[in-house]
Amino acid sequence: MNALVKVLVLCCFSIGAWANEVPLEKVNVATDAVTISRGAEDLMNDCHSCHTLKYIRYRDLVAFGIDKQKVDAWRGDQAMDSPLLGQFSDADAMQSFGIVPPDLSLMVKARDGGSSYVYSYLLAYHNSPDGVLENPVYPATKMPDALGIASATDAAQRTEIQGRARDIVSFLTWAADPHDAERKRLGYYVLGYLIVLTTLLYFVKNQIWGRLK
Amino acid sequence: MTENESPANTGRRNFLIKATTAVGGVGVAAACVPFVASMNPSSDVLAKAVTEVDLSGITPGGVRTVAWQGKPVFIVHRTPEEIQASTATNGVIDPEPDSQRVQKPEWLVVVGVCTHMGCVPNKEGPGWTCHCHGSQYDDSGRVTRGPAPKNLEVPPYHFVADNKIIIGKA
Amino acid sequence: MPGRIIKWIDQRFPLTSFVKHELTDYPTPRNLSYWWNFGFLAGVVLMLQVVTGIFLAMHYRADISLSFDSIQHIMREVNYGWLLRYMHATGASAFFFVIFVHMARTLYYGSYRAPRELLWWTGQGLLLLLMATAFMGYLLPWGQMSYWGATVITNLFQATPFFGDQIVIWLRGDYTVGDATLTRFFALHYLFPFIIIGAVVIHLVALHTVKSSNPSGIDLAAKDNIPFHPYFTIKDLYGLGWFLIVYSVFVFFLPDSLIEPANNIPANPMQTPNHIVPEWYFLPFYAILRSVPNLVGGVVAMGLSVMMFAFMPFLDRSRIPGGAHYRPIFKIQFYLFLLDMLVLGYVGYTPPTNQTLLIGQIATLCYFGSFLLIPFISRIEERWLVRRGLPPAVIALMESEALTIEQRRLKHRRRGEQA
Repeated sequence: MNALVKVLVLCCFSIGAWANEVPLEKVNVATDAVTISRGAEDLMNDCHSCHTLKYIRYRDLVAFGIDKQKVDAWRGDQAMDSPLLGQFSDADAMQSFGIVPPDLSLMVKARDGGSSYVYSYLLAYHNSPDGVLENPVYPATKMPDALGIASATDAAQRTEIQGRARDIVSFLTWAADPHDAERKRLGYYVLGYLIVLTTLLYFVKNQIWGRLK
Repeated sequence: MTENESPANTGRRNFLIKATTAVGGVGVAAACVPFVASMNPSSDVLAKAVTEVDLSGITPGGVRTVAWQGKPVFIVHRTPEEIQASTATNGVIDPEPDSQRVQKPEWLVVVGVCTHMGCVPNKEGPGWTCHCHGSQYDDSGRVTRGPAPKNLEVPPYHFVADNKIIIGKA
Repeated sequence: MPGRIIKWIDQRFPLTSFVKHELTDYPTPRNLSYWWNFGFLAGVVLMLQVVTGIFLAMHYRADISLSFDSIQHIMREVNYGWLLRYMHATGASAFFFVIFVHMARTLYYGSYRAPRELLWWTGQGLLLLLMATAFMGYLLPWGQMSYWGATVITNLFQATPFFGDQIVIWLRGDYTVGDATLTRFFALHYLFPFIIIGAVVIHLVALHTVKSSNPSGIDLAAKDNIPFHPYFTIKDLYGLGWFLIVYSVFVFFLPDSLIEPANNIPANPMQTPNHIVPEWYFLPFYAILRSVPNLVGGVVAMGLSVMMFAFMPFLDRSRIPGGAHYRPIFKIQFYLFLLDMLVLGYVGYTPPTNQTLLIGQIATLCYFGSFLLIPFISRIEERWLVRRGLPPAVIALMESEALTIEQRRLKHRRRGEQA
């Protein structure tokens, strides 16, 4: 019993964003191929020049259902089987940013808050009163404001950028766990089966115990 | 308790137990599937099941060995004399016309694994000789002397251009 | 035909008599509640872990430059690799959950009391083996939590007198947790489950010698015992159905809820994550470690906190039969202990501040207090209960127990006289 309560308590904590000082903006990631393809395209344009996705290969994108011609354009002369490595060498990155930009394959899983963290982080850039670019979600960040949210002033432009951030986060969520949809689908079958089996076992148990006086 | 022991009830009980056992058995069998499947080639291995080969560097009479699914594949650029010699015979132990073994007569593509015990035959004079047990193959990869029972296997392949083939997909 | 085969076997191996003795004729108290299902469940989870573990080992690489990648290979490319890995990771938590319930049941119903001390102690040994196995397995994914968890725990052995530093280096095979550490942890993580299986056999032999305890806390008369098979096989299987439902919800729908996000970052010996926490099942013990402001003291306190359970047969010497059922104060003590474990778990999870440190120290005192005060409290409780007048049923139980003890003594004496 104590363990169960503990699990529940911990689940509440890990979902809550108490570790971050800034409250995160919740995002509902999309799982449909259209949004994820759009996210992949934005990512290739806005992020891929510095960031790698070494656990995703070009053929994974095609297998997921992203247009093959687009993937061919992205990969250039790289093989279909090669991972999405950045166009920047680590040494160049060190020189420009003083840090090697982290691999994005598992980014959504590697942060407290998951997709909401990445989404909030992308949109948290703003200019302080004295004109310095700041990001309260991760103040130590070396990344420039890739989506340009800090300089976006009119509402339409901000909405467009928010949509783009959501697409990118949706793609990254897929990239972090490509079998997520398959897992859940299988999960419903397994649970359905187990409920039937447990119900049957319940009746058998009652019948067998019914033999006792 | 006494009334539970009537034949009808016993029958129902037996049926219930049998049905539950069957449902449970199906579940156990289904649960084995992922474990067995996990031992099959993973998707990155399957992706390497296709090999693309550029033929332009192989001069007439030349042979190139490429790896396909980890196995050696011999690609021979046959000379007109070799083609003529191959079409003239029909094979000895495992008769097969040369035309069925090639897509273009000047290009022979065969898996370089002896059909006897899996050794890799050596190119010697016309054809190949396997040094493990002495089997011999002609320039169409057909076995001319045992103990090998079959001709060298022709892998599925197709020409994507005049001098480019993809091995692994017909 | 099957009859003839069995006869052939029986002439060479006691198959039928074994099945009869341990299953179809094995007497089990008929009043066992569902809390008695958890021992069987622990066995099932052990098998699940062994099987998923063997299949994972076919794809895993124990090499610091490959292990993180090999986990991703399993998660992304191996057929159903994600399922095997999530089953194994969730299974570790399920194992501890089941074992904790199993232990809580033993404590509540006083199942550790005579004559079941050895049964309880073999269980204690199993708990230690399980903890060691889980700890070593946690290093294998080579994430940030893996690395720093292993660093902290191997550093505990600094507390060894005289040879502390050498022992730590010996355990790691390196100055820090490194390739040598990973490889040996993998070897031992693969070996330990088989030692556990052996220890489980010993645990079961002990169980079948003294038989199951039951909610009333005293041994029942023969008429209240029923054969294990089919009554408890079906009850255990029914309970297993419920267990698998909960387990599947975690495996298929919440698999990442039990994996710390930082463990999805490859191990970096140059940078410790801001907030390192052990897995949930180690949190109370970790809180006790942190509550003692001295390295050696903390390690000793943590070790003792796990070993305290072994002293229960000595600490609890009340004459009132059974566990909490007839003992209101013991029952309150039990629930306070659970509450204390929760508080310790919470303290272990939060980053240390002055406030949580103080709460942790109080909770640590309560933890040890709830063990060490048992002899005194149970004496007072016993006197109070007798003075207040026990229910006739309990008096009957006590008398019958006293009678059986007397009978046993008589039998013993008679045997002595005969000799």
